[in-house]
Amino acid sequence: MAGSALRRLMAEYRQLTLNPPEGIVAGPISEDNFFEWEALIAGPEGTCFEGGVFPAKLVFPPDYPLSPPKMKFTCEMFHPNIFADGRVCISILHAPGDDPMGYELSAERWSPVQSVEKILLSVVSMLAEPNDESGANVDAAIMWRDNREEFNKIARRIVRKTLGLPS
Amino acid sequence: MPTVIVDRIPLPNLKIYTTISVLLLSGCLYYSVRATSDPYWRLHTNSSTVTTSSFLSQAEGILRTDENGKSVMTGIDGLESKMQRMQKEIGELTERIHPAELLYLELIDGHAKNETRTLGRHLKDIATFMSQEPICVWTLINMAYCCLILVGKSIQKIVFGDLRISEQQHLKDKFWSFVFYKFIFIFGVINVQFMHEVILWIAWFSILGFLHLLSQLCKDRFEYLSFSPTTPSWSHLRLVSLLVSILSLSGVMLIIAICIGLFAGFNTFFFMSAECILLALKTSHVLVRYAMFLYDMRQGGMASDVVSWDKRGPYAYYTELVFDVAELVVDFSHHLHMLIWSNIFLSMANLIVIMQLRYLANDIQRKFKKHRNYLWVQNHMEKSYPLASQDDLSENCDNCAICWEKMETARKLPCGHLFHNSCLQSWLEQDTSCPTCRLGLSVQNTAIQRDVIDRIDEPETNVRGNNHFFQFNGSRYVSWLPNFSVEVTNINTVLRPEPIPTTTHTSQIRNMARQVQEMFPRYPLSVIIADLQLSRSIEITIHNILEGRLNIPARLQEFQEDDFQEMANAPSTSNGNNVNDRDSASSSYGANSANEYYASPDFNSMQDTNSSSSVESGYEIERNSNIFGNQNDLLRDDSFEDIPLGDRFSKSSSEREKILQRRKEILLSQARKRYMEKNKSELNIPPASEVVRHRSKTSMQLTPE
Repeated sequence: MAGSALRRLMAEYRQLTLNPPEGIVAGPISEDNFFEWEALIAGPEGTCFEGGVFPAKLVFPPDYPLSPPKMKFTCEMFHPNIFADGRVCISILHAPGDDPMGYELSAERWSPVQSVEKILLSVVSMLAEPNDESGANVDAAIMWRDNREEFNKIARRIVRKTLGLPS
Repeated sequence: MPTVIVDRIPLPNLKIYTTISVLLLSGCLYYSVRATSDPYWRLHTNSSTVTTSSFLSQAEGILRTDENGKSVMTGIDGLESKMQRMQKEIGELTERIHPAELLYLELIDGHAKNETRTLGRHLKDIATFMSQEPICVWTLINMAYCCLILVGKSIQKIVFGDLRISEQQHLKDKFWSFVFYKFIFIFGVINVQFMHEVILWIAWFSILGFLHLLSQLCKDRFEYLSFSPTTPSWSHLRLVSLLVSILSLSGVMLIIAICIGLFAGFNTFFFMSAECILLALKTSHVLVRYAMFLYDMRQGGMASDVVSWDKRGPYAYYTELVFDVAELVVDFSHHLHMLIWSNIFLSMANLIVIMQLRYLANDIQRKFKKHRNYLWVQNHMEKSYPLASQDDLSENCDNCAICWEKMETARKLPCGHLFHNSCLQSWLEQDTSCPTCRLGLSVQNTAIQRDVIDRIDEPETNVRGNNHFFQFNGSRYVSWLPNFSVEVTNINTVLRPEPIPTTTHTSQIRNMARQVQEMFPRYPLSVIIADLQLSRSIEITIHNILEGRLNIPARLQEFQEDDFQEMANAPSTSNGNNVNDRDSASSSYGANSANEYYASPDFNSMQDTNSSSSVESGYEIERNSNIFGNQNDLLRDDSFEDIPLGDRFSKSSSEREKILQRRKEILLSQARKRYMEKNKSELNIPPASEVVRHRSKTSMQLTPE
């Protein structure tokens, strides 16, 4: 099975290289292992994450694309839908069978026609519009709802940090 | 598991261990040479005690092997055999006197005839001495293990190089569980009581275990290598040759087992051969998988339009199945044999064997269920989803959405989406909806309809239905009314691929539209149909209507059958059209891109310009110059205005790595530059040139607020 997964990942890599979406760079961390990728995601414009470049790691299962990959930000993140350890909580990354939060529509979940590009675009829109119903990071969700000022301040600090600028 | 405890024990360094073993061995050699330097050594050594005991144990060993066919001694049997043993002992002792006398005479004769022994004779003497002296025997055993470890180490160096952490962990687990189970086997199940037998069994299992570990390592390594398309072929070659040699060694061991079995009876033969067969099966399984993988990569590398996967799907599945089941069955019968052999009485060892049996039985059952599911899905697919016709295929120039490869044969779902047979099969084994549009699939279309009607009455309750194909409650087979759920697709998710409107199955859609119209008579049928064609779900359309997303056109028109195409463009599509366009554009791009590697004339010069100027300007130079080669490709790329022109996709892996790295740097530096320009007033920071380029460096210097 690994052969078909590998070919598909190769095709996705090719497409992402030749035809990259704005503000997204993604590819295998090492050519020795096509099942671990790093992606750089530029923060969407007009949001508090604007200007930042956020590195994330994607780990693919051997039966990809039948099962979704796992995604984890490797920089510090403060966002209602991102766990404190960087794991991303969006429905597109959840297999149709399991429903950890118990409210997602299975139509929004993983299907083999999804791709790395679509995942990353979903993550960009998640950065732009947090979903405060699924509280992966409850502190962030509460702050997002009640104290937007403070939230934006933290986000700006993280943005500067990802750019390697003094905060 | 005993692993945890044993992990803590510090193991000596291999070098030290080897030195100690060699020293011990040489010490023993020296000792035996000294002891046998005298031609009459046999008389001087206190052989009476040593040899008697060893003779005794040998004799009893023979006794035991005779008994092997019978069951383990019960109490009375034990007593009897003890009696026998004592008698035997006395007999032995009396018999011993004669050979000793004879030997003595012989030796004196020999000495008289020939003063100096030949070298061969001397060596033979040393060997006999060493095999009789317990210290020497232990040293020899130790040395044998040392050699085994050294062989293992060198194989690891040659074939594997450094082991990855997961491989080490697997190896450790496998090693300790092997030791644990074999210990149970030797002392708990067959209840060996004599030293030489223990040593023989342990020797046998050491070699087997060694081969098992190697084959496990090969399997892990193969799985790792299969993660990369750029593995050099010689590392494949080394691994394959190691696998082949393990396989042939297991054959040799099987022959040995047969030879011993002829001598020692059926039970011993089965005990010994089970492990050999298991080893051979595992190794050949890995080999077969390896062959398939290599074939696959070959095919993929040569031309992507060779449809190999589709036809090979069932073959691959069945070989996997056969190997898995064969391994499990052999293991199961081996354990069952152990249980029967030890008369199923209650003991720790038997409990462990029973646990293992239960575990194996579970595995077999799971395999069986999975296979039943597979057959069911296959059957269902053949019955319900027709093979796509040539027209369908030529009309749909896209690749298979699951594997992204070209389709020469395909199956067509009721919603009009095409997939490879095997791709669809493997997806349907875990889910029951169309991967593209999430249309729920069922045994019969009428079942969907009926189900949908039921659901409309209570739309709240079943937003999330049971989404599993993998159900064995039997109701599906008995009542022939499937547990079915139509999934709700949320049209708001901009990033989800939207179904391509097709005119297939118009009757189905019209039926659905009528149902919706019953609820919302205000809306014209044509508008509802247009929305249904996009949403493919009654619930979504209802949702859209309730949300007010469905507009009634000013000019109400009668529904006509040929209006479909026009209505597909109705304003009700509130979702991002550009995303949709982009998706189809990019996927068609992916279809062709296999044959369109850009020529890479002067990557080095490009690197040079890049390093001499700043990263930013290097990027500009690159975009404006013509190093991308093919003008047609550029033109085609330009047709998608909003997509920036990408880099080349190189064939060489190192080049790809470099390009990716550079793209990351460019993204970062651009973002940084833009950020600083924007926030110049806020930040009183040094000019751009002084900002350190690498994020990793600077982030270390940063202090959080």
